[in-house]
Amino acid sequence: MKTFAMWRLIVPAAAAWLAACAGTPAPTEHIRLPMGYIPNVQYAPFYVAIESGFFQEAGIELEFDYSFETDGVKLVGAEELPFSLVSGEQVLLARAQGLPVVYVMAWWQDYPVAVAAPADSGIQTPQDLAGRRIGIPGLFGASYVGYRALLHAAGLPENAATLDSIGFNQVEALAAGREEAVVVYANNEPLQLEARGVPVNLIRVADYVQLASNGLLSNEATLRERPELVRDMVQAILRGVAQAIADPQAAFEICKKYVEGLGALPPEEQDLQRAVLAASIEFWRSDRPGYSDPAAWENMHALLLEMGLLADPLDIQQAFTNDYLP
Amino acid sequence: MTFGAFALEKEMEIVSAQELRPPRPRLRRSIRPWLPALALGAGALVWEAVARWSGLPPFILPAPSAVAARYARALADGSLPRHALITLGEVLSGLTLGLLAATVLGYGLAKSHSLERALAPYIVASQSVPIVAIAPLLVIWFGPGRLSKVLICALIVFFPILVNTVVGVRSVPRELYDLMRTLRASRRQIFLKLEAPAAMPVLLGGLKIGATLSVIGAVVGEFVGADQGLGFLIKVGDGLFDTALVFVAVITLIGMALLLYGAVALLERRLLAWRAPEEAR
Repeated sequence: MKTFAMWRLIVPAAAAWLAACAGTPAPTEHIRLPMGYIPNVQYAPFYVAIESGFFQEAGIELEFDYSFETDGVKLVGAEELPFSLVSGEQVLLARAQGLPVVYVMAWWQDYPVAVAAPADSGIQTPQDLAGRRIGIPGLFGASYVGYRALLHAAGLPENAATLDSIGFNQVEALAAGREEAVVVYANNEPLQLEARGVPVNLIRVADYVQLASNGLLSNEATLRERPELVRDMVQAILRGVAQAIADPQAAFEICKKYVEGLGALPPEEQDLQRAVLAASIEFWRSDRPGYSDPAAWENMHALLLEMGLLADPLDIQQAFTNDYLP
Repeated sequence: MTFGAFALEKEMEIVSAQELRPPRPRLRRSIRPWLPALALGAGALVWEAVARWSGLPPFILPAPSAVAARYARALADGSLPRHALITLGEVLSGLTLGLLAATVLGYGLAKSHSLERALAPYIVASQSVPIVAIAPLLVIWFGPGRLSKVLICALIVFFPILVNTVVGVRSVPRELYDLMRTLRASRRQIFLKLEAPAAMPVLLGGLKIGATLSVIGAVVGEFVGADQGLGFLIKVGDGLFDTALVFVAVITLIGMALLLYGAVALLERRLLAWRAPEEAR
């Protein structure tokens, strides 16, 4: 009996010692990460980080969950999941409803929303939007927040232009001439429009106001109880971002493994997707990778209050942190 | 046996029989009208208990009391009636359009096997295309306004009403046609006096299904691109993490579907009053 008890101690200890000597990686933790959108070249840093073993080295086995952004925020707020990818405004809106979520890493340095108008439309500045018919995916989310930020920057009232909620059909609506301008993501639809023979003027929100953009969300319980996991996750993602910036061509090739149908696209469509990746990379470049600019959160907070999406001011210091950056 | 003993024995038999009998129908009849309200109340109590003691946060599962408070707020600020009326308008327009198209085409298909054979692939295909997949296309083709939502509603109600129209018209017994012809009835008279009344029960069955489906159609359209309507309100509630508002919109949609179903049932009772009571039941 005594001998058996001794063996029960010795065997696992020996196995652990041998594993340590052999350099075996630490046991991995399975993390499901809500991405907020369908598989896309814009997630190249995550695909690169997996293929380069950055997550594995951090002891993380990553599973992509391409569900809606708000669902991811709710799951993180309910402490069902530790992380989610999220746009800046969602963090403040969620905290206003009592979700204990915290933004821990800025991935996109600039707010990617813009207004695109045909090059010959004469729409070049936010002031030019007055009196125009503008297509927008909906009166909610990052697109609406970005659009209102542009109106605010131009000193225009909410009803300065006629808005049409057109869903995510901006390219078709502008190409068909149904709208005079459309609210888009600067790294995506403008390139698709140009590829379809519709050159556009782009009014980028980021040129007028700095707003908190897309990044990694966690919750207060995870920060309190598992700070190492948060640091490891942030570091693995930032390594992926750096590598995608350093070698976009290799990143694009890796994307083919994760974005179904990408490799089968005709060459001109693949070139378009390469351009989307290149444009996205410009939003990721930073002297301080992952850093959240407090001014961007102040601006977002002020804008949401003005829009009436926040009923009362929030303590925005609770909404984001830079404490988990490498 | 004396009459008194006989009477006592009979009385005992009656008492024991009453004891063995199931609850008196009179009592059940008095409860019956309240059963839906009782079931709803019990459901709300279970929901409240789950919301309170499950540990789920309100943005995942709001308690019915919180939803009721949000309902009152949405009614008071006028947002709920405004959005509900928009959706109701789309639903009624779509239902009318779908009903007209389906009954006209359905009658044609019922009368002509060649037409049925020619159009069957298109009709079946129209039903098998997921409405969520073509809704964005309809918004592009017909614009983000009311028309695209009405068309989505019409599309979703079209098939059940069409099928029921065909079945209804074809269910008319051949002997009755012979009788009408013997009486020298015109085509119009055959349609009005025979086919329409005979097909009506089945057609109304299809309309009942269509009425509830049309609500789904309007919401699908509003999800794709809208700035008003209950579907839009659901998206706003979701975007603001105001789950109680999502429930408010969903409950209103359920109420709308029930009202429409009830209206068709009422119509059915009126139009089919000529049937024998047990047949109409």
